[in-house]
Amino acid sequence: MRRNGGGWPTMDLLRSEPMQLAQLIIPIESARPTISYLGDLGLFQFKDLNADKSPFQRTYAAQMKRCGEMARKLRFLREQMIKAGLSTSTRPSAGTDVDVEKLEVKLGELEAEIIEMNANNEQLQRTYAELAEYKLVLQKAGEFFHSTKSIAAIQQRELKAQSLGEGSIDSPLLLEQEMVTDPSKQVKLGFVSGLLQRDKSTAFERILFRATRGNVFLKQAVVEEPIRDPSSGEKVEKNVFVIFYSGERAKNKIVKICEAFAANRYPFADDTSKQFQMITEVSGRLSELKTTIDVGLLHQASLLQDIAHQFEHWNLLVKKEKSIYHTLNMLSIDVTKKCLVAEGWCPVSATTQIQNVLQRATLDCNSQVGAIFHVLHTEESPPTYFCTNKFTTAFQEIVDAYGVAKYQEANPGVYTIITFPFLFAVMFGDWGHGICLLMATLYFIFREKSLSNQKLGDITGMIFGGRYVILMMALFSIYTGLIYNEFFSVPFDIFGPSAYACRDLSCRDASTQGLIKVHSTYPFGVDPVWHGTRSELPFLNSLKMKMSILLGVAQMNLGIVLSYFNARFFANDLNIRYQFVPQIIFLNSLFGYLSLLIIVKWCTGSQADLYHVMIYMFLSPMEDLGENQLFVGQKFLQVMLLLLALAAVPWMLFPKPFILKKQHEERHRGQSYAILHSVDDPLEMDLHPNSHGHEEFEFSEVFVHQLIHTIEFVLGAVSNTASYLRLWALSLAHSELSSVFYDKVLLLAWGFNNTLVLIIGIIVFISATVGVLLVMETLSAFLHALRLHWVEFQNKFYEGDGYKFQPFSFTSLSEEDE
Amino acid sequence: MGFVVTSLIFTVIGILASLCTRVFCNSGPSTNLLLVTLVITATVCCWMMWAIVYLAQMKPLIVPILTDGE
Repeated sequence: MRRNGGGWPTMDLLRSEPMQLAQLIIPIESARPTISYLGDLGLFQFKDLNADKSPFQRTYAAQMKRCGEMARKLRFLREQMIKAGLSTSTRPSAGTDVDVEKLEVKLGELEAEIIEMNANNEQLQRTYAELAEYKLVLQKAGEFFHSTKSIAAIQQRELKAQSLGEGSIDSPLLLEQEMVTDPSKQVKLGFVSGLLQRDKSTAFERILFRATRGNVFLKQAVVEEPIRDPSSGEKVEKNVFVIFYSGERAKNKIVKICEAFAANRYPFADDTSKQFQMITEVSGRLSELKTTIDVGLLHQASLLQDIAHQFEHWNLLVKKEKSIYHTLNMLSIDVTKKCLVAEGWCPVSATTQIQNVLQRATLDCNSQVGAIFHVLHTEESPPTYFCTNKFTTAFQEIVDAYGVAKYQEANPGVYTIITFPFLFAVMFGDWGHGICLLMATLYFIFREKSLSNQKLGDITGMIFGGRYVILMMALFSIYTGLIYNEFFSVPFDIFGPSAYACRDLSCRDASTQGLIKVHSTYPFGVDPVWHGTRSELPFLNSLKMKMSILLGVAQMNLGIVLSYFNARFFANDLNIRYQFVPQIIFLNSLFGYLSLLIIVKWCTGSQADLYHVMIYMFLSPMEDLGENQLFVGQKFLQVMLLLLALAAVPWMLFPKPFILKKQHEERHRGQSYAILHSVDDPLEMDLHPNSHGHEEFEFSEVFVHQLIHTIEFVLGAVSNTASYLRLWALSLAHSELSSVFYDKVLLLAWGFNNTLVLIIGIIVFISATVGVLLVMETLSAFLHALRLHWVEFQNKFYEGDGYKFQPFSFTSLSEEDE
Repeated sequence: MGFVVTSLIFTVIGILASLCTRVFCNSGPSTNLLLVTLVITATVCCWMMWAIVYLAQMKPLIVPILTDGE
């Protein structure tokens, strides 16, 4: 439905691009390339024509499954690469266009190969670990036997040398002595050797002792460094143990206990020569295994490296395929199974481009039949589409965050580009801080190209996205900083001398009566003499509060005027006569009048009390104004304005619902006549189903809606105007903070005349300025300026209940995270 | 410098800026209209702020009272 505001020139970005509902009829053989090219173009939003079908009933469900499989294999490959420590952030090597079918086969092969390599590797690692443990057992247990044997040999010699049968302090193990010195008394002993985890060793010992009633002997030796456990693959601390026992039953018990404690047992020969042989053999096998494992790992690494180069490219390809089939699933298939029907929204301006794309796809497929593009007419509300460039995107997103514009209603984004940074700057005004913000954002803007390709963090990403907003904010802050005359809270007299001077040459009462204005007004901004005086705050507060009211009334009037343009565009006369006019009258007869009084008071320098004037305008309008009179005829004017405002309220409330009711009745009455008289008129038949849709007209609902709207406006006029006082509040906070940091930190540090104190003072000053003023205050002013736009400005005209145009496009794919 | 004179200066700057955008960033009538709207809005905002601060200081009711030891 296109309505024209009647001959007014179009403005970019003010209203949504005109959209049309189009139907594409595509022959099956050229379906895939058509969708692919449309995805490259990115200007067509497909409607889901198969919404009632489950995912398994759709035409291309099998292909979707295959794409899903490929995506799974890619995810597996990525995990393997991450485990091997390779990164996949290399940019996709454009050019080598891989066929999707071949890619599928290749991915399958790669997956199988990698799984096999992993399994082999694991097996080899396990064998290696076991052999390593065996070697340790051989070494340590060998040491036991060896050491005790040598001690036993020494003992023998000592015993032989002296005939005294004294036992020395470090007498060898009893059983060693028995074994070595007295073969006749030898008892048949067996032993078990193995490895056990260190933290289980005490429990092991205890249970062993209890189970065998103390008839075993356990000797443990600590392994210095943690070794790899074959079953779990992790490095643990272990002990080598040797258990000496006698008898079969004891052996069984010991074996069971070892198994319960997951202690690995290894055979051990007590013959020294055999031990030596075993050790060499095991060492040989260990080194062999090591080389095998290394070669295997190298092979895997090189394979993964190869994959890493192409990974992003494949990933993108698979995602593209998946999205193409996903879109194809949304098309409905014709009865003859020869062509697919697609329905969707596209901008009117993109028609030729889309038709070209369709032709190109037909040519590429050598298809006999070309695709058909034709426009449908519909009553549905189209999506909203604004053509934004890199500068306006951020501002449009700010507006969209509140609500997407209804199709073709006026877009507040146009004015937001200027007024949002301006209101921010009113609250931030300091040209020193403005210059700092400017430097920061210029850095982002100059490195735009390189930064847009990188993946930035959350916060940096947001700042980068809003770099042009911050640029505007910084420029306006410099301007308002010059007007408030604050450079890190220090005023300068750049634009000429101050207008104030002492009353007389001695300047006696400069601190009691104050200065007087001798020259003409300081030409640009606040006079530099004010900073640091005792009456600075009363003066600035009065100035800033009045400024907030004036700016607020101006912006609200702009909002109401935009509602006029909306009503004109949609040819809604009712809204003009019974909404726009009374709203303008109400707002301006109260707050517009207040603004006028402020300006007159400033121009004439009268001492009238404006609070008094406004309040008594309502309480006792006929009373004489006395010293609060600002101009001739003020009382008469006030009474007139009051009457106008009072008249505007029922003007807003009553006429519209009644007229709507009358209009609906007329339409309804006209309908019934049409049905009776001309049955075969096709136009009337077309209108008939429509009227069933709009037939509901509840007068009470419409009236209550209008009542709410009226109350909202009337009360809102007061509250919104007061809300603009936050411009004053934040500006005061900023200048006070800035002043405190300067006076109490920097100047204090300067006063000590000590370099070290000065350096510390400068560091504290800089960190406080950056942390509190540049970061916190920026965010705070940003938020409040945003609120002023979203609530006070937009509730005068903005409906914002549209939906955004989301075309099928491949560029949005690469931003998706897995 | 006078209120009227400076306001005239603001107007002239605004008109010059719109002409410059017309000359340097000419890209279709609807885009031009948008750019001119932005320039005029910016000029009006800046002028309003200056004018408010100037008017408030023309006939002041409060005068600066210096602190002791200034």
